[in-house]
Amino acid sequence: MISISRKYRLVLQLCVGLLLIALPYLLGNQYFVRIATMIGIYVVLASSLNLIIGFTGMYSLGHGAFYGIGAYASAILSLSLHWPFWVTMPLAGLFTAMVGAFLGLATLRLRQTFLVFGTLAFGEIVRILIMNWNSLTRGPMGIPGIPVPSLFGFSFKNFSNYYYLVLAFAALVVFLIARLYRSRVGRAWVAIREDEVAASTMGVPVFGYKVLAFTISCLFTGLAGAFYGHFVRYISADQFGMNESFLILTMVALGGTGSIIGPVIGAVILMLIPEVFRFLAQYRSVLYGAILILVIVIKPEGLAGVKGLFVPPSGTARFQFRKRKIDPAAEGQAGGGAA
Amino acid sequence: MFTQQLVNGITEGSLFALIAISFSLVWGLLKLVNFAMGEIYMFGAYAGWIVVSYITPNLFLALIAGFAVGWGLGWIVEKVAFKALRGVPHIASLVCTIGFSFLFKEIAAAIFGAQTKAMPSFYSSTAIVVAGANVSWLQIFMVALAVGMMLLLQLLFYGTKIGLGVRAVALDYRTAGLMGIRVDRVTSIAFSLSGALAAFVGVLAAIYYNAINPYMGFVPGIKGFTAAVFGGITSIPGAILGGYLLGIIENMSVQFVSSGYKDFVSYLLLIVFLLFRPNGILGKKAKL
Repeated sequence: MISISRKYRLVLQLCVGLLLIALPYLLGNQYFVRIATMIGIYVVLASSLNLIIGFTGMYSLGHGAFYGIGAYASAILSLSLHWPFWVTMPLAGLFTAMVGAFLGLATLRLRQTFLVFGTLAFGEIVRILIMNWNSLTRGPMGIPGIPVPSLFGFSFKNFSNYYYLVLAFAALVVFLIARLYRSRVGRAWVAIREDEVAASTMGVPVFGYKVLAFTISCLFTGLAGAFYGHFVRYISADQFGMNESFLILTMVALGGTGSIIGPVIGAVILMLIPEVFRFLAQYRSVLYGAILILVIVIKPEGLAGVKGLFVPPSGTARFQFRKRKIDPAAEGQAGGGAA
Repeated sequence: MFTQQLVNGITEGSLFALIAISFSLVWGLLKLVNFAMGEIYMFGAYAGWIVVSYITPNLFLALIAGFAVGWGLGWIVEKVAFKALRGVPHIASLVCTIGFSFLFKEIAAAIFGAQTKAMPSFYSSTAIVVAGANVSWLQIFMVALAVGMMLLLQLLFYGTKIGLGVRAVALDYRTAGLMGIRVDRVTSIAFSLSGALAAFVGVLAAIYYNAINPYMGFVPGIKGFTAAVFGGITSIPGAILGGYLLGIIENMSVQFVSSGYKDFVSYLLLIVFLLFRPNGILGKKAKL
């Protein structure tokens, strides 16, 4: 990543901060403010998936489902018990984290490929449950009329107000993740990502830290779900399917695995593409698929990534289209059961 | 009803078994999973649909067209997601095929439209009635074709030089190369073959369900993988067994639980087997 000296970085951060605060006034149009709010929610989603993929080196294709669990939990609590958003939102986050912890405890011993399919199957199970559990989730009809949060009589019904709410939330999550990354816990995660065996030899309880990463990631994802539900005010099962998991994964891969700012960049770019190129709106998913493939093949560390997961071990040639012989350095990865 | 569900289960099972073989084939060679298998299946179905509705209503031509399209797509995926990424951690290939899965799906939606299209039916008249269950000619034809395909594959793997190459590469990548086997070529052929198989199944499935749409591949893709894990992804007989068992279990769950939970059973089975018996029923003991 481009290194910016400390002084300029502070100035840059201040400028970006001011810009974000002034954004609703600069945009004017409510529609654009709505998009900006959605970007904030996706920043949280991508950053929390990055905790799993970029920091710890695990995979999850179930994040669309966790997002949905958070949204449904908060919506159901606030509609059936009439609790305020400030109670249901943290509860939804905690509930999602709990589900995530259970799934993590069960599946995190699996190897990467199988973890992907395990979490994917879990995500589909959640979707099917939401579709069929009519008494709780109203099944395919979805949940309409989710109340808008308000604080001491101040309503967040206005898009601009909700934008500030989400902005504060996203900034807090990114800040927390950045602090975590630089803490003892974060170092343990990176150690696990780089080499699990070495990490456990050095006394890092690998499994515990993996479950911790998964749980924290699910906590943030569930909170994002709650924020989403109270923003759009109508949720249904098809909003939280495999496509959502895929979109978040693409954001992380594009922005850069293992960096703090990467997922933020990825979320902003992928959310803006369909708006900037309106004529492409119909083909935006084609674009997402193509972006994911191109990133992995051409720039596996993403736009801002530090050494990401897709980067080959040093000394390995990357492009081998024309190469006929087997590269001995690559052989250890490609052949046999090495993973 | 029970026998009817059994008949349906065996028919669907032969489809799952063939997809499971595709997964098993790729896994055996590269220890990799092609996530886009379901989308290759979908494109196969579209190829068959184009032949049947625009060129000639001939089922066999449709099957051949599907096979060819699948071969081509398998080849493309292998070149980009596996060959170009050799030496990179496996997960990169998997994520790349996830990208392909979405790319194919959305390309199909952009070309053919997202709405479901009708596929004409073939041989849908009842052939025999077994214990109250109607067995159509199509079901007999499908099972026979699937079994024939499996026998053909067996012949290919154990009776030809290229099959010997595939087995050698699966056994030991490096030594096979030293013995003069063109590893890249064998891998490429096996990969294309797995795609072709999936697309072939796609044509059969399109005729069986009489409907195609761009999103039809996702669920069968996951179920094919489930069948492979269920039976043992390291063994092709295991994949076949897993496919038939999965088909039967699924249709029984329609009978005894609810049709809304049909897919639920498969996914649960996948998670349970991944957790407690990752080598499947027939799989060789290997750390996954």
